[in-house]
Amino acid sequence: MARYLKKYWLIALLGALFMVGEVYVDLYQPRMMERIVNQGILGLGNNGVPDLSLVTSTGLRMILVVILGGTCGVMCGVLTNVFGQNLGNEVRKDCFERIMHFSFEQTDDFSAGSLITRITGDVTQVQNLAMQFTRGMVRCLMFLVGGSIALLSLDLSFKKVIMIAVPLIILEVGFIIWKTNPLFVLLQKRLDRVNSVIQENIAGVRVVKAFVQEKRETDRFNEANDALVQTQLRVLILISWMRPVMNIILNLATVAIIRIGADQVRAGLMAPGTIMAAVTYISQILNGMMMLAMIFQTLSRGAVSWKRLKEVLDTAPALKDGGKEAPEECGAVRFDHVNFHYPGNDEPVLKDISLDIRPGEFFAVIGSTGCGKSSLVQLIPRFYDASEGHVLVDGMDVKDYDLTVLRERISYVLQKSELFSTTIRDNILLSRPDASEEDVIRAAKTAQAHDFIMRQPQGYDTPVTEQGMSLSGGQRQRTAIARALLKNAKIFIFDDATSALDLKTEAALREELNRAMPDATIIMIAQRISSIMHADRIAVMDAGEIVGLGTHEELMNTCRVYRDIYESQLKGGVTYD
Amino acid sequence: MTEKYQSKTAERGFNRRPNRGAPVEKPKEGKQTFHRLMQYFSAERRHVLVLGAVVMTGVAASVAAPGFQSMAIDAVTQGSYDSLPRLLGFMTAGYLIYGLTSLCQGYLSASLSQKVIRRMRNDLFVHITALPVSAVDRHSHGDLMSRMTNDAENISNVISESLSSMFSGILTLIGTVGMMLWFSVPLTLLTCSTVVLTVAVTRFITKKMRVWFSKRQTLLGQLNGTIEEMIACSKTVTAYNMQERASEDFRTTADELTHAGIIADIISSSMGPLMNMLNNVSFVIVAVFGAWFALRGWISIGVISAFVIYSKQFSRPINEIAQLYGQIQTALAGAERIFAVLDEPAESTEGMTLPKLQESVIEFRHVNFAYVPEKPVIRDFSLKVDSGRQIALVGATGSGKTTIINLLLRFYEIDSGEILLNGIDIRKISTASLRDHIGIVLQDTVLFSDTVRNNLTYADPDITEEQLHIAAKQSNADKVIRHLPQKYDTVLTESGAGLSQGQRQLLAIGRAFVSNPDILILDEATSSVDTRTEKNIQQAMKELMKGRTSLIIAHRLSTIQDADMIVVMDHGEIKETGTHEELLKKKGIYHSLYMTQFAGRTI
Repeated sequence: MARYLKKYWLIALLGALFMVGEVYVDLYQPRMMERIVNQGILGLGNNGVPDLSLVTSTGLRMILVVILGGTCGVMCGVLTNVFGQNLGNEVRKDCFERIMHFSFEQTDDFSAGSLITRITGDVTQVQNLAMQFTRGMVRCLMFLVGGSIALLSLDLSFKKVIMIAVPLIILEVGFIIWKTNPLFVLLQKRLDRVNSVIQENIAGVRVVKAFVQEKRETDRFNEANDALVQTQLRVLILISWMRPVMNIILNLATVAIIRIGADQVRAGLMAPGTIMAAVTYISQILNGMMMLAMIFQTLSRGAVSWKRLKEVLDTAPALKDGGKEAPEECGAVRFDHVNFHYPGNDEPVLKDISLDIRPGEFFAVIGSTGCGKSSLVQLIPRFYDASEGHVLVDGMDVKDYDLTVLRERISYVLQKSELFSTTIRDNILLSRPDASEEDVIRAAKTAQAHDFIMRQPQGYDTPVTEQGMSLSGGQRQRTAIARALLKNAKIFIFDDATSALDLKTEAALREELNRAMPDATIIMIAQRISSIMHADRIAVMDAGEIVGLGTHEELMNTCRVYRDIYESQLKGGVTYD
Repeated sequence: MTEKYQSKTAERGFNRRPNRGAPVEKPKEGKQTFHRLMQYFSAERRHVLVLGAVVMTGVAASVAAPGFQSMAIDAVTQGSYDSLPRLLGFMTAGYLIYGLTSLCQGYLSASLSQKVIRRMRNDLFVHITALPVSAVDRHSHGDLMSRMTNDAENISNVISESLSSMFSGILTLIGTVGMMLWFSVPLTLLTCSTVVLTVAVTRFITKKMRVWFSKRQTLLGQLNGTIEEMIACSKTVTAYNMQERASEDFRTTADELTHAGIIADIISSSMGPLMNMLNNVSFVIVAVFGAWFALRGWISIGVISAFVIYSKQFSRPINEIAQLYGQIQTALAGAERIFAVLDEPAESTEGMTLPKLQESVIEFRHVNFAYVPEKPVIRDFSLKVDSGRQIALVGATGSGKTTIINLLLRFYEIDSGEILLNGIDIRKISTASLRDHIGIVLQDTVLFSDTVRNNLTYADPDITEEQLHIAAKQSNADKVIRHLPQKYDTVLTESGAGLSQGQRQLLAIGRAFVSNPDILILDEATSSVDTRTEKNIQQAMKELMKGRTSLIIAHRLSTIQDADMIVVMDHGEIKETGTHEELLKKKGIYHSLYMTQFAGRTI
């Protein structure tokens, strides 16, 4: 926090000073009011004859003072806003940048949803905290302290009122905050429950209807809804105590002030106008208390939020650049006795893998889900780091590379096609923003995407909506492949990235790949044997180990696991010409 | 998903009132919607009446109390101390009544709003479950969600809070003006003129503020969109070295947002000091003229102190009413969206109830269907499925396979032709009875966030424990369940409690076993399931199909070679029918599909 405060502390201080000015005027103004009433209207110094010129002159002065105070208030608003929002913005930008450089493991640790709430909700909380603190804290402390001093300087006999009213209000506010805070947590839980029932019923409408369970779902919803309403009501009712009770205390204090003041006036110790000023001061003091309660509320939320943001900011990127000079690019990948387990999970995912993938080779990896094939290729661009052993690209350990340089050399197509909500063209251009139109079209043609793109309403300029939901699964995969192909890389990794393509398209893609990039190294992971049976070499993985390596024919003869897969997909391998 | 729908109340904490100057939406048919909305409140007539009475008492007290206060100060000034205790007593009573009524008001309006919101959400939910699938499909899920949560909450909060504030505001206004007039007519006119000034300033500022707040809102949406996208797609960002570019974009938007935010907040935070200034100016005006009137002997001194309070009491409700107007407009726009859903016709529940079926023959006769007019999806589709037979539907994506399910279950109604079950047109059978006889296992496995047991016994909660275990065994789901921490009592979460897609599918098959249907529809999962689980699934499906009339939507040819008949569809038409062997011999579409799937070499 100190780092951010350093930059803006002057603005914050100035803002606070202006606030002092504003509050000072607020506190001073009742005195002038008193003077107008006592001296002017009641004419106490003038044998009970109102003094109009005094009212007018004090009135004019008061207007001037009030304008000054107002200006201070506006300036204070300007400065605290500049302070708080810039501070929030800095934190937000830093967090985002930090997150961008997180390793996958770190992102997973936080979970995407939590990162999003942190950077949106928590930043706002901290921002509010910064603003409220500079503005509200000064204001209410001045109201409290200044108001008390002003009130007591009018007459010490008002002491009793403050001494009774202030603790009462502290007690009340404290009690309500103490009671409601745990309820807010419960409330969020109940709300989540209602939301998830709704969500399930909308998403699962076919199942609900097919099993004719509308009645049951309604009951389930009613239960969740009733629980929510009940909790919400409890919160609302607790909160609704706050203001009325505070008002009662405030107004009773006013009554007491008049009562005490009357005695003083009767005893000739006080002028009647003083009572009015005292009434104003007491309401300022008690309003200050109320504001203090609000500030504590923001403070406790803000502190929690700041803690959550600090967790993000204090997380150093897990991957360190090697920074060694990169060897010449040729497209070779080597695994040297690689062991791997996911962080925080001791179960080995890869066991002693050694593999040598040659430049220009079409290399395939096959195996059942969970056998470790995705984990294997994720080590190449350092999405994760090997636990033991080395992964080498073009002859150098990936850990020695500058991360950017390493990833420049590799084009990776993910299992889940992640498209952004811009146009199709921009989505493809993402891998190489300076590529020419011809390059984009060529990549799209190779990826078998050009035809469907041209059929879209605006061709390449068609916007992709909601994470690509406007496109079918196969179309999204082809767009992602086009993006990967546009990149100037020697190594292409397809991480089960053709699963949604029909076989004809997949075959055409394969053929085009061979033609367009004859010397690129292609590493392809697949579920279907038909996708990879033409590969130069196929590695068969089972439970983290390589159990077979060779061509399709070789593996059919030598590898039982491969044959099993083949047979399960072929169902007895019907021989039919 | 849930993060987006955080309770507004939870978020706002003690500051329950929505942001001043938040963008205002305009309802299209404000009056009509308002009347309809009022029906929800008129159902709570007694509650509303009590609330009204409480508000009225409160207003009377809040108007009377300052009157007594000024009289008390007058009494002190004039030295008539005898009347003071009485006046202070009245004053205390007035303020106490005011405090108590505002407490009651808070209590009553909270419970009123919760009653209304509860009923509104229930109505909406019941209606959504009653809607035909076609209507649900038409809306985006997020949209329906936000109507049920945000809109409903917004409406009830705003209306119940605003109504009482508005009511008390108007009453206070009338009461205050009345009191002021009673005290002094000229001073009243003077105060009113200063109030007019205040209102004008407020309106001007609010108008300016609205522009910047809506700009900020747009930018905030944009920024949050970027964050969500970049974090959700972090793998792509990393793989393509996009971190710097993404941060750069983010910084630009974040700076724009900060700029708009600062301006918006400066304007809104100026409101307070400006109001304060105007209030003080109006005090001086009242004081100066008050003193002048007092000099002339037209008014007493206490009247001036009363006017100081009244002039404050007077401008507050006017400002409030101006703001409430905007909030009410927004709430009405939300109500319009809710009523739009409630107005969609529900599924018809009429039709005959089928007796227990001895056999189940399905026949499609010249069925035509289109989701969108002019874009036919099913064309002249005729097919007869004999009782206990297994029919596989095969074809490319978009060939209309899934639509056949929608039609058979009457999720959508056919445009022409007939679908018959045992010779009865399914449109004559009530949807509930029809669906009772049909079991489904869908591509996207839907499980509920409930225990495994409740998910399995979904169709028949009264099933015995023994029957449940048999069903679990038959569906191969028992192996999955055995590995769960609390076995049958494990609560499944939205994300699936660590269950893989394949395991979820096994549970869905188990659920279908429990429902014990006469007719079965299987929509095979396309997503990649590992080989072992897939074997389990296929075995379970085969077991499930035994003795039931079954329709299988097949995405993998290997799963359907045992079907009694394979129907090859293309663009909504039947192109080929026959057994696996027959179709291969025919060397038509099926043959080429088969060859691309398995004999990639021949391409």
